[in-house]
Amino acid sequence: MNCLVQRILAAAVGLIFLVSGLIKAMNPAAFAIDIQNYRLLPWTWGVLLALYLPWVEILCAGALLLRIAYRGALAIAAVLLGTFIIAYGSTRPRGLDIACGCFGHGVHRGYWPLLIGDALLLGLVLWLIQRDLAPLAPVIRNTVAD
Amino acid sequence: MRRALRQVVAILLLAILPAIAAGLWHPRRPAWQSDEVTLAVASAWVPDVVWVDARPDADFARAHIPGAVPLNEDRWNDLLPALLDQWEAGSGKSPRKIVVYCSSLSCQTSHDVARRLREEAGMPNVFVLQGGWEAWRREHP
Repeated sequence: MNCLVQRILAAAVGLIFLVSGLIKAMNPAAFAIDIQNYRLLPWTWGVLLALYLPWVEILCAGALLLRIAYRGALAIAAVLLGTFIIAYGSTRPRGLDIACGCFGHGVHRGYWPLLIGDALLLGLVLWLIQRDLAPLAPVIRNTVAD
Repeated sequence: MRRALRQVVAILLLAILPAIAAGLWHPRRPAWQSDEVTLAVASAWVPDVVWVDARPDADFARAHIPGAVPLNEDRWNDLLPALLDQWEAGSGKSPRKIVVYCSSLSCQTSHDVARRLREEAGMPNVFVLQGGWEAWRREHP
């Protein structure tokens, strides 16, 4: 039962990443502008990220949905979400009021709803990582004890 | 743990291939140079600059940068001739620069209008004002 819940939640995370990645991959020019609006990176780095990040998200999504390279995909998802929360969280203190660029250009969900939503998603990903590593705990304990 | 690390590396490396393909062939790939200019830079171009207001008509009617020409996607065909007239009425030595603005940092319309001016109207030297109308209002309250 627990395993089924895990699989459903992992698939849900995968679907979110898939939709987000596909929307960005369809229009990398708009995504580059969204990245530029964060005022954290020079334009050229933003262009590179705009071309690359959507495909990382899509591959992560595929890995989560098909359970291939599952653990690696969860790790990347956690890092991406953590980075995004820090980057978007920094916008308001810096006086910026921008669309996040998560699901296409110009989609403005509001500062706090977005941060809370992404924090919940990050919590879910971390829980999935913890559940995935749980069966290894005795092995790790024995290795440490030896 | 080592297996997870290998998986991370594999995903990150695999993503490079479609990213390169997108950079080379995607019809909506970003330009390697930003088309945004700050207000200070654009102001220094005056009088060889045409301001283009990409906001809705009602916003333009309320207030706009002095001398700006309205051009939004809702009435593209109606408004474009006026812009072309103003653009061609420049000094004549070199094509005047066009600076498009919309409401704020997060609006997209200025980028869309700038792209259409370049691609459909074949205009060179089209730029987007960083921060849009809000940036102008901050400097000219």
